[in-house]
Amino acid sequence: MKIKVRSWQWGIGLVAAVLGLLIVLQLRTELKIRAKLPTRQVNELAQILKNQQMRLAKYESEIATLRRQVSDYDRDREILRLKMAAGLTPLEGPGIRITLSDSEKKLKEYEDPVFYIVHYDQLELLINELWAAGAEAIAVNNYRLGSTTGFSCAGTTILVDTRRLAPPYIIEAIGDPANLKNALLMPGGFVEQQILSFNLKFIIETVDRLWLPAYKGSISFEHATAASEEGGN
Amino acid sequence: MLIPIIGALIGILIGWRLPFEIPVNLVKYTAIAILAALDAIMGGIRAQLGQKFLFSKFISSFFANTALAALLCYLGDLMGVDIYIGAVVAFSIRLFQNLSLIREELFDRFWWWRSGRSDKDM
Repeated sequence: MKIKVRSWQWGIGLVAAVLGLLIVLQLRTELKIRAKLPTRQVNELAQILKNQQMRLAKYESEIATLRRQVSDYDRDREILRLKMAAGLTPLEGPGIRITLSDSEKKLKEYEDPVFYIVHYDQLELLINELWAAGAEAIAVNNYRLGSTTGFSCAGTTILVDTRRLAPPYIIEAIGDPANLKNALLMPGGFVEQQILSFNLKFIIETVDRLWLPAYKGSISFEHATAASEEGGN
Repeated sequence: MLIPIIGALIGILIGWRLPFEIPVNLVKYTAIAILAALDAIMGGIRAQLGQKFLFSKFISSFFANTALAALLCYLGDLMGVDIYIGAVVAFSIRLFQNLSLIREELFDRFWWWRSGRSDKDM
């Protein structure tokens, strides 16, 4: 009986020792793992990984779309800028409106009416003065001036490009109104030389918001081709 | 009851002081081994309570169960069969059965002792 008692106690003691050793070893390793990884099952981790990868792919495609949009936007902006420069898009902004028309003075017998009507070169001078004063866009009688616009006269009418103008000539220019106005009104300037001396009718008004249409003329390059910056032969 | 507790303490101390650790990919199998060992101990206690304890049987069952459980789980993983789950279920069921039997037995003894009858051999 005594031996039996001892034997079972020793046996369980031995086994308990082995078990204690195993459990402590296991705990040590397990705690180390948990310190490194969150206490999650492999499947859960795999799911998380998959989700993250899907989100990554989504974000990557989003980035690609946004990049494309940015480049599109840049290109659009560039195109818009060029169109504005070329006069191919309607513009609006502050500026001045000039109304110019032939003199209403009763002419005497000896006076030549030629001096009392608006000539195309006067219009040209006016437009040039406006450009020089910093006008950004100009329209004459609601016809926008493009980069190749020229004035000419055919008999008694003035042509801008191929369009006939009839008085009164309404010139609208977008730019700093004060600058434009001062450029025309300065002593020895356009108004003094061309208007007052011929008694032409001339009105300048400042407009807060002008709207100019797009250039409607043709743009064709028959002789010119695009070349590199360096030029030369 | 002293020797098992001392044994457990010695085991814990050794385990605490051992310089090496279980490799991470083997942790799963040692867990099963621990379960098997727990099962063996509960079985042993129960056998003792039922007066059927045999030292050699107990020791051999402990080591064989522990080693075999771990080995079988490893083999199962190699073959792609989750013997791991089967082992957990089987050992757990037996563990709880043994536990309840031990509890019943101890309760009965306590009852008998309270009723004035002397303990058999504890």
